[in-house]
Amino acid sequence: MLLREVQYVRPGSVDEALAALSSHEGARALAGGQTLINVMKARAASPDVLVDLGRLDELRTVERNGDGGLRIGAMVTYAQLMRDSTVGEARPILAEVASQIADVQVRNRGTIGGNICSSDPTNHFPPLAAAQGWRMHVRGPEGERELSADEFFLGVYFTAVGPGELLTAITIPAGGSDGFASVTLGADGTCIANAAAQVRDGQARIALGCVGATPVVVSSPEDVRTAAMDPPSDVHASADYRRHLAEVCARRALEQAA
Amino acid sequence: MIPISFQVNGETVEREVDPRTLLVHFIRDDLDLTGTHVGCDTGNCGACTILVDGEAVKSCMLLAVQADGTSVETVESLAGDGELTRLQQAFSAAHALQCGYCTPGMLMSATYLLRNNPEATEREIRKAIQGNICRCTGYVNIVKAIQEATR
Amino acid sequence: MTETTMEPLVVEREETKSGFVGQSIPRKEDKRLTQGQGVFFDDVKRHGMGYVHFVRSPYAHAKIVSIDVSKALELDGVYGTLTGDEVAIQTDPFFELSTPPGSEIKDYALAVGKTRFQGEPVAAVVAATRELARDAAELVEVEYEPLDVVVDPEAALAEGAPILHEDAGSNVVWSGVFDWGDWEAAKAEADHVVTIDYLHFDRFSSTPLEMSGCLVEYERATGQWTLYCNHQMPGVGAIWMAPAMRVGIDKLRFVTHDIGGGFGNKICLHPYYVACCLLARKLKRPVQWTEWRTDQHMANSHGNERVFRDVEVAVKADGTLLGFSCRAIDDCGAFPRYEPLGAIIWSQVTPGLYRWRNIRVDFTQACTNKSPVGPNRGYSRLQHLWLTERIIDIVAAELELDPVEIRKLNYVKADEMPYETPNGCVYDSGDYARCLDQALELVGWTAMDERRRDAESRGKLLGVGIGSTLDSGTNNFGQSTLINPELQFSGNNEVATVKLDIFGELVVTLGTVPQGQGHETTASQVVADILGVTPDDVHVRPGHDSFWNSHAGFSGTYASQFAVTGLGAVQGAAEKLAWEIKRVAAGVFGAEPDDIELAEGQARLAANPEAAIPFMGIGAIVNANNAILPMDVRDVTLNVRHVYVPPFQLPDKERKFGNLTLTYATQIHVCVLEIDRETGAYEIVDWAVVDDCGKRIHPQIVEGQVHGAWAHGVGAATTETFPYDEDGNLLTANFYDYHVPHALDMPPLKTGHIESPSPFTPLGTKGMGEGGGGAIHAVCAAIQDALRPVGKPVVYDSHNPYHRVWELMTRPEDSRKLVTVESR
Repeated sequence: MLLREVQYVRPGSVDEALAALSSHEGARALAGGQTLINVMKARAASPDVLVDLGRLDELRTVERNGDGGLRIGAMVTYAQLMRDSTVGEARPILAEVASQIADVQVRNRGTIGGNICSSDPTNHFPPLAAAQGWRMHVRGPEGERELSADEFFLGVYFTAVGPGELLTAITIPAGGSDGFASVTLGADGTCIANAAAQVRDGQARIALGCVGATPVVVSSPEDVRTAAMDPPSDVHASADYRRHLAEVCARRALEQAA
Repeated sequence: MIPISFQVNGETVEREVDPRTLLVHFIRDDLDLTGTHVGCDTGNCGACTILVDGEAVKSCMLLAVQADGTSVETVESLAGDGELTRLQQAFSAAHALQCGYCTPGMLMSATYLLRNNPEATEREIRKAIQGNICRCTGYVNIVKAIQEATR
Repeated sequence: MTETTMEPLVVEREETKSGFVGQSIPRKEDKRLTQGQGVFFDDVKRHGMGYVHFVRSPYAHAKIVSIDVSKALELDGVYGTLTGDEVAIQTDPFFELSTPPGSEIKDYALAVGKTRFQGEPVAAVVAATRELARDAAELVEVEYEPLDVVVDPEAALAEGAPILHEDAGSNVVWSGVFDWGDWEAAKAEADHVVTIDYLHFDRFSSTPLEMSGCLVEYERATGQWTLYCNHQMPGVGAIWMAPAMRVGIDKLRFVTHDIGGGFGNKICLHPYYVACCLLARKLKRPVQWTEWRTDQHMANSHGNERVFRDVEVAVKADGTLLGFSCRAIDDCGAFPRYEPLGAIIWSQVTPGLYRWRNIRVDFTQACTNKSPVGPNRGYSRLQHLWLTERIIDIVAAELELDPVEIRKLNYVKADEMPYETPNGCVYDSGDYARCLDQALELVGWTAMDERRRDAESRGKLLGVGIGSTLDSGTNNFGQSTLINPELQFSGNNEVATVKLDIFGELVVTLGTVPQGQGHETTASQVVADILGVTPDDVHVRPGHDSFWNSHAGFSGTYASQFAVTGLGAVQGAAEKLAWEIKRVAAGVFGAEPDDIELAEGQARLAANPEAAIPFMGIGAIVNANNAILPMDVRDVTLNVRHVYVPPFQLPDKERKFGNLTLTYATQIHVCVLEIDRETGAYEIVDWAVVDDCGKRIHPQIVEGQVHGAWAHGVGAATTETFPYDEDGNLLTANFYDYHVPHALDMPPLKTGHIESPSPFTPLGTKGMGEGGGGAIHAVCAAIQDALRPVGKPVVYDSHNPYHRVWELMTRPEDSRKLVTVESR
């Protein structure tokens, strides 16, 4: 509950934020804080400097792309996704999934960027990112990079966002019908298994959470059994049970999408 | 130490804070507003729920320094003039509290709900207090009290 | 004036007159608690106080080679430290309740020499802020030498197991055989003997939302400590602490105000409190300790885990149960503390709700490298009641009997009350079959087949389960002598004072320590009816203060007894005060006390109500104007104290026989759930509970207790568990992994009640609140019922998360192997 000593800066622009992140070793971006503050309370992480993105309104926008897709600022909260009419029209699954994350208070602070940057295998958005072909826009001192989910998620709590870099937005290509399914520990609780699916032009793309360090992509539920994955065994599920649930979730997500 | 200035229950507070201080500790220990409680150390229990700029948040998942420039409402603001709100009265009438430890957070989550959705259904009420753990009531009478306050 | 009275065994009660008792009046506690103005211990501050942070062992079992606090002490703002070596010099080990080998265990405030469970405190640091205290705790260097770990109680009892307490020389705390009736004869008479090889009652705890803690001040002049705290049984806390600290019990003043739930988990706080007392004295400043949630899960007190082996059940062809026999292996974690009381307390409900007369239990309690256990809502009885309910449902399933009919056939009947159990306990009153009928009706029992078909059409398996349970309340502490004949404990007591003050204020103090049970309210109802005032006229002081003198050896709030002991004391004190008021008024009017009636806040002549003295006048006369009183009334103080003492006898130590509790409340649960055939995930879709706790003082509060007990049971049955890995690491040390029910997890609840007044208590009330784990039994039964079509697996564990249900569904033969039926 009690954090180690830390410095705090609150930049007024993305450029200032990037400067702050680059100028301190051990600096970390603070988005909604619904994961990071907790990790700091446990003293499992102890950044030297927190760069609070809270006042960067430029990261809180949702826009339609020219191609009909969506561009969502990294600091858009789950609550914002749930009430944003653009999201509701273009990709209602985002609102639907956001509404299942934790609780009202967390949804008021937690952000889509934070959700994927924490790269927790039980999180909701990484499989959606993988299934829907999200592009992650990462800015750094060298300029902006655009990464696919495959390139972005590198491991448990580990992404391609390097020191001095910042995820600023994600873009979601247009089209496709979507689905999401999960088995959770209590209603709206931590996912024991989850899966996101997208069907576009008759092609299914299913991404499984909770069964590996990063989302596992398959093209049909039947492939789940043979897919390369490394489901953990823990207090909530054995590896075998998770693998089975992954298959069920894949089928259910696909049914919703189809 | 970083200077901050914000509104708490309508009054301006200006202090210097250590950046590592959580907002809940600042509210409880520095402002002596002890109605806001701590029930866990992982942001699960919601006993520390307050409103920041009208939004329900868990004050153990914010640094005090992040409150700079905001307007904060705690449970102490609800009956500011000494008269219990309809919601507070409903909590008592429906026996929605036993030990009363989760109650402040529950009331703030419910206040947030009723401001935004004054005619909430039972399902919406349960969803609205999903982030607040109560270990005494099984939520039976809490849901009932909030339903009472919606009418 | 004698202070204690013995009530006759059967209390003659007058016809209940209409009054505040029995009404759900607004709770006095609510006004402050709904405004965030409750006073919980962590809200209390003192000038110059330091914050305590405990350095805790990361190892489940390790030798402490060295502790170096020098780096911590160098940190600016650190006030001081305490280590196990200092504790071992300044205190004696806490007394143990057990006979050998358990009695040889040495338990101190901090680990001395070695650490025996993950999270055990090995040192403490005090600093100017909470954050600094934790920073400093990280600087304490402890060198450990890890030892072999044992987390399974049966493994702990096996040859060659790592020994936790060398002084005891064994991991056995206590063992004994309980043998009532004639089990062998029952077995010989049976038409079927059903054997269940293994049942496991899981480890969990009620995890009150407010963590434990205290603010301790030490007064050098008198050598006295004041603890602003949330201990829920300070009487017993002081009995543990004072001798260990080598001081008289009057040197420890316990003060509580509002407490954020206890459920038994705030009884075994003495190690922490002793450490804080030593620090307050050493550092010459107030010290404050607030446990963190992670600490609470790792190291406060868990509920008892229990394994049942070789359960044999003797059954007649018609389903009549003759008896059962089993071995019980109880896991108390690293230190016994309140144990081995759990090794006897289950026997308050030896036969459950059933009429079987031949019961044999071979009970052993073992230490393991896990958190110590402590009383937890339904303490030790819910484990045993779960066993009896599992037996009923497994027998019913194996012999193709209806779970409702087998219950009704074997339940103790209403006309058999009071009913003496095979071990001499007396079930005071109740009508179990009627409660069950009402609960079944509430869930629409007759339409269940239709609902099963509907569920099936949606890919679900519907199951219905019954949980019949008892809440035994008001302990006879003489039961402790059945585990240790040398112990000098028996009976029970509770205290209240009621006074009429100078301006007519009625002030009540309680020896009890409420944590949400509404004692201020219910006490005021009882007083109001006796004194002819309204509850608003009665000020019941919040919390507990051992300096109020309203305190006895067993004071506290625990074991479902306030409605009997607490209110018995309140009633007695109010009646004494009423008599004093009448004597004063009679003295003034030159009448006899019996000529006086109390009504509308006045003492008046019954024959002439115009001749009246308001209570304010009575208070003023006695306190400030007493020369006007006749000499024979001048002994009146208007400040009376009553100790309620239940009518217990000493139990028979040889036969382990006697009445161990005064009252037995009933709760019958019916759970309806649906299991997803594809995943094993399940959802509770309907629930009814019918409660019978005799006379209800405040029906709403009673219902609230039923709700709470239900929620704890649902949590324990579904998502709450404290599992350890083989290295002794707790896997659910926070509310992420230890998932307690949230609002969306709880289904709507249907409740009903009947009232079977207790013939043994002054008000006809029964203790209630713990709920006997009825919801756990019901969920287990419902899962087993739902899974009948998929291979008829046996639910063998009290805790059934989705993955266990999945295993039951997919490999039913594994659990079926646990059960055999021998029919003759």
